[in-house]
Amino acid sequence: MAGVPTEALKRVPLFAELTDDEAGQIARLFKVRRFRAGETVIQEGSGGAAFFVIDSGEANVFVHNEQRTTLASGDYFGEIALIDEGTRSASITAASDLVCYGVTFWDFRPLVESNGVIGWKLLQSMTRLFREAREP
Amino acid sequence: MSTAVALDEAAEVSLFGSKAVGLGQALRDGLPVPPGVALAGAIVEAVAAGEEEAIEAVTDLVRPLGGPLAVRSSAVDEDGAEASFAGQHLTLLNVPSWEVLTDAVSEIWWSANSDSAITYRQKVGLFTRPSVGVVVQVLLDPESAGVMFTQNPISGADERIIEASWGLGEAVVAGLVIPDHFRVDRSGQILERVPGLKKIAVRTLPEGGTFEDQIAPELQEKLCLDDAQVGDLNRLADRCEQVYGPARDIEWAIADGTLYLLQCRAVTAAGGA
Repeated sequence: MAGVPTEALKRVPLFAELTDDEAGQIARLFKVRRFRAGETVIQEGSGGAAFFVIDSGEANVFVHNEQRTTLASGDYFGEIALIDEGTRSASITAASDLVCYGVTFWDFRPLVESNGVIGWKLLQSMTRLFREAREP
Repeated sequence: MSTAVALDEAAEVSLFGSKAVGLGQALRDGLPVPPGVALAGAIVEAVAAGEEEAIEAVTDLVRPLGGPLAVRSSAVDEDGAEASFAGQHLTLLNVPSWEVLTDAVSEIWWSANSDSAITYRQKVGLFTRPSVGVVVQVLLDPESAGVMFTQNPISGADERIIEASWGLGEAVVAGLVIPDHFRVDRSGQILERVPGLKKIAVRTLPEGGTFEDQIAPELQEKLCLDDAQVGDLNRLADRCEQVYGPARDIEWAIADGTLYLLQCRAVTAAGGA
């Protein structure tokens, strides 16, 4: 069966407000992507159109060539580019062989455009995240 | 309509991409292209999504090819312009067998959705959903291989220029050896033979990928083509010009004594391989 497990997707704050059924519709859009140890997963400053949830393995996050953190199973990255078509704000390199679930902008956008309920919940989540980021 | 077909049935650029259709046309015209399978963009995406039905359809077609395999992208876009995406989409030489083909197809699908491909698309104003076809062919294990220009790309003289080396043609294309050099007129008369210095040959590894094999000293400066093989290449040049027009840049290989056409395109302004 293709797609990311629904429970893994609901751990992502952006998708936390969705029901199982709503999250399931998004989860089915994901495809497995494998990276070899040492491979660049995303590059700071480049364009991006996919969001990833890590299934297994570890990845290092760099901002301005400085390592910030290490991601592992269940962690996620790239969700902002899924919506704003903007550039990557960090570089990520596979620290080991890495298996991710990824969804592209081109699959995600039509679903959100055709489902106002999902769109509204995503907007609420975005607003909540924005509010949290602004609070001291 | 099926979206996975034998390579000689690939005829629609909008489904299979220009590389697949170009090779399909070569087969239909009787040119000696290694057998293969063409996958349309939709079935490539379905395989990448892990859809069982699509995986089964593809493996049923590819299984008879055996292995190892060369798996190449064939961009499908509004204008079908594969060249626009040269270097953006992936080619995987020496995929050991059909059993690991799913991963290779998935990797090629993601190469069209990678950050570098997306950045390129934004830059050239093509920020649209990518579609990528795939060509799966038997990967040859050639005795010798290389490139041929059906017309001298430097002087413009009406003569064939052949550059050849031992093993896979990557040794010539990537400049890893000084290849043997031949000039041949249209009648097939060899005007010049210059042995190169071929210290390595690129060969396939059983577990996938390639390696640089050291060539025995007595073979390094020995011509890797005999006169009969040069004659075969001259006849292949004739056929390619009949089918595609003058001034072609050809990649070829000789495996088990048989000459194969791997690629045939117009000579670029720079004349590079």
